[in-house]
Amino acid sequence: MNHLSSETFKENAKAALADVQLRGALKNATSLFGERRKEAAASLPNWEDLRSQARAIKDEVLLHLDRYLEEFVRNAESRGATVHWARDAAEANTIICGLAIERAARIVVKSKSMTTEETHLNDALEAAGMQVVETDLGEYIIQLADEPPSHIIAPAIHKTRQQIGQLFTAELGMPPTDNVDQMTSTARAKLRDRFAAADVGISGVNFAIAETGTIVIVENEGNIRLTTSLPRLHIAMMGIEKVIPRFADLDVFLKLLPRSGTGQRLTTYQSFITGTKRASTDEGPEEVHIVLLDNGRSRMLAHPVTRQSLACIRCGACLNACPVYQQVGGHAYGSVYPGPIGAVITPQLMGIQKAAQLPYASSLCGACREVCPVKIDIPRLLLHLRGEISPRKGSVAERLAFKMWARVMTSPSLYKLSSVAGRMLQRVMPISRAWTNGRDLRSVESKSFHDLWSNE
Amino acid sequence: MNNSARESILGSIRTHLAASPAMDVKERQAPSEIPVSNSDPINRFKESVESVAAHCIVTTDVTDSLNQIITDLKAERIAHSDNPPNAHDIFHFDVGISTVQAAIAETGTLVLDSACERHRLVSLVPPVHIAIVNASAIVETLGDALTLLQKKEISPAITFITGPSRTADIELTLAIGVHGPQQLYVIVDESK
Amino acid sequence: MWTSIGVSSVEVLRRVGCEVEFDKRQTCCAQPAFNTGYLDEARLVARRFISIFEESKADAIVSPSGSCTAMVHHYTQLFAGDSKWLPRAQAIASKTHELSSFLVRVLKKEDVGASWNGRLTWHDACHGLRDLNIKSEPRTLIRNVRGAEFVELEHADSCCGFGGTFSVKYPEISVAILDQKIDAIERAGVQAVVSGDASCLMQIGGRLSRKGSKVRVMHLAELLNESSQQ
Repeated sequence: MNHLSSETFKENAKAALADVQLRGALKNATSLFGERRKEAAASLPNWEDLRSQARAIKDEVLLHLDRYLEEFVRNAESRGATVHWARDAAEANTIICGLAIERAARIVVKSKSMTTEETHLNDALEAAGMQVVETDLGEYIIQLADEPPSHIIAPAIHKTRQQIGQLFTAELGMPPTDNVDQMTSTARAKLRDRFAAADVGISGVNFAIAETGTIVIVENEGNIRLTTSLPRLHIAMMGIEKVIPRFADLDVFLKLLPRSGTGQRLTTYQSFITGTKRASTDEGPEEVHIVLLDNGRSRMLAHPVTRQSLACIRCGACLNACPVYQQVGGHAYGSVYPGPIGAVITPQLMGIQKAAQLPYASSLCGACREVCPVKIDIPRLLLHLRGEISPRKGSVAERLAFKMWARVMTSPSLYKLSSVAGRMLQRVMPISRAWTNGRDLRSVESKSFHDLWSNE
Repeated sequence: MNNSARESILGSIRTHLAASPAMDVKERQAPSEIPVSNSDPINRFKESVESVAAHCIVTTDVTDSLNQIITDLKAERIAHSDNPPNAHDIFHFDVGISTVQAAIAETGTLVLDSACERHRLVSLVPPVHIAIVNASAIVETLGDALTLLQKKEISPAITFITGPSRTADIELTLAIGVHGPQQLYVIVDESK
Repeated sequence: MWTSIGVSSVEVLRRVGCEVEFDKRQTCCAQPAFNTGYLDEARLVARRFISIFEESKADAIVSPSGSCTAMVHHYTQLFAGDSKWLPRAQAIASKTHELSSFLVRVLKKEDVGASWNGRLTWHDACHGLRDLNIKSEPRTLIRNVRGAEFVELEHADSCCGFGGTFSVKYPEISVAILDQKIDAIERAGVQAVVSGDASCLMQIGGRLSRKGSKVRVMHLAELLNESSQQ
């Protein structure tokens, strides 16, 4: 797969801006999701209260994450689940591949899981000789196209129906059509027999309840239910931040997540899985394994500003609201997590060196903060990251410019001189081409406000 | 198993939390009450079910309603949750019939508790699912359903179902019937 | 850089009965450094801002810029944990107001006696809107401008794409975002776009002019200073 890199965000973005089809698809998708979210939020008179409650619950968990994780593990294990701890991506992949190999698995069905994309699990499973089938329709489409997801909720949103139709014809032998129902039926039929033949089902986790050891997974299609009930082995991967304290807390989160993500009151299915089945004759997998993934998350606990990154419930609302994402889409970010939340967690998870451009790719408009169901202050996080990056990694010219700027701004005589100089320079030099490529500059004024005031 | 990874992760969590400046955690507010509508919960449930593209029949004669549906569908192979076919055969059935243990009026949601019957695949694999719920088992809100489920030990698998399966992954165009059932019938049994 | 904004602000405030002083020693609120991640430099400049304005006996500090006002309010973040400067920052922040918010919320003045003939619309600058909750106040003031026909802009609250150094670090994205705003303005069929932040006006005005548009940009203070004598 040709992954774009976060390190070339600027070039990626330019290419995306030139892609007329992509921009059209993004405009439709983000405005539709945005409108639906807005209506869904407006339909709940206590929406703001719910956001505050959700944030308070997440703050409580994160402040005592070790305790809540231990409680979750204790309860899940007492009900028959096997829990594994993975410090990083490689360890998670090793654990999961190991489980599959030990059980002589050949076919793995997967439901949508951002954490498994983060660890590149599919590559590891395929290298270990497994056939991996993504079953979420959007993920199935991009798997066939060999592309990364472009949106947290709707991974194939960058593709038109014509493109998908052509893909299905080429890869699946579907008779040519761009009818959505027909494409959906084709996918349904092709995937049915994969489900039936699968040895292992791998899923993500939306919420992990400490009080009961339950994992909760939400969906519309039914592939998660199939993935987690047909194969004899179910493996669920979750970031350590997915824990919430009490079963009753689901009320708040199940009200916020579907509305924020797709504007629905509830997604079609919620699966609440607690350990393994009681009798071997019952329905369901023989084994349920849960993999807890750290991969840089625990580091984010060290500061209240960064800690809130871990409150994210992966709804995608910030993507739809972001003017930058609306123009360039998800691939440009070069990360499994694009958009505003991606711009703040990618540098923290992958390391600042790998994603130093992302925190600057924002106009700080704050639309993301407004729509975030758990009130993450993304602009504040962006500024925090900029404060970490600029003094160390800003270009020499830029660092010097700001040092000079501070000198000028703290000295009245230098300030006066600089504004005269600035006005002179503006007259004779073309100011940054970056501005003037698309925009005119205001004409220079002969007197400053300071001058005018003196003449009063 | 994995003890060193476990200790390492827990240790990392503790170390980083300890390094963090103290922060006020806001008090948990009591959840605000939304006034519940005065109308009859069965009616409200029916409206909610229909709003998610499912059918809802309120009846005192469940058998009659069932037969009606099966006849209309011209369905032949019917799977019942009290004696379901195995995981291979079920893929060849036209209709799956199950009871549900509770239902939520505000969202039109069915609550299936696997400890009560074998309905995981019957309610999922055949293209049509017919669910039967006692009128008395309809609760008002999602919160009520969660409370109900905690009255006993949580079952190994609980499923909430709201409408037939769907996707909007292709150009955000709604397509009903993806991996789960394409049609959902809910029969509300008023007879008890 | 845009003197008529300052001049108009002073005149409007005087017209509604305020005594206005301007401390010539002031330079900048430190926003450019703060937003680009140069916090030490930002603190240097912010301390100067605080020190100068502390000396004033004025009841309020008013700024014709939502983003500058928001920056002053963010001084509490800049000096978090600084027991010496934090209280001073808080004191200054609590008396610093954006112009429209000051007129409507503090002075309770919704009509400043302005008149301007034509069709116009309002662009919500992001910091004013989201950091300071300024939304109804400018609309109230504009609706009381005699002769002005106000139309609500589609997606008035969407960003114009300026974002400070973002506009020159990512100019293509900045202009792509801007063009959404320009399209909406053209569809609104107005003669002027009004906003509360000079940076948005430079961004929007710069593109309108590049496209040969006759639509002019005006700062709220300039509009409020218009009268039938002009």
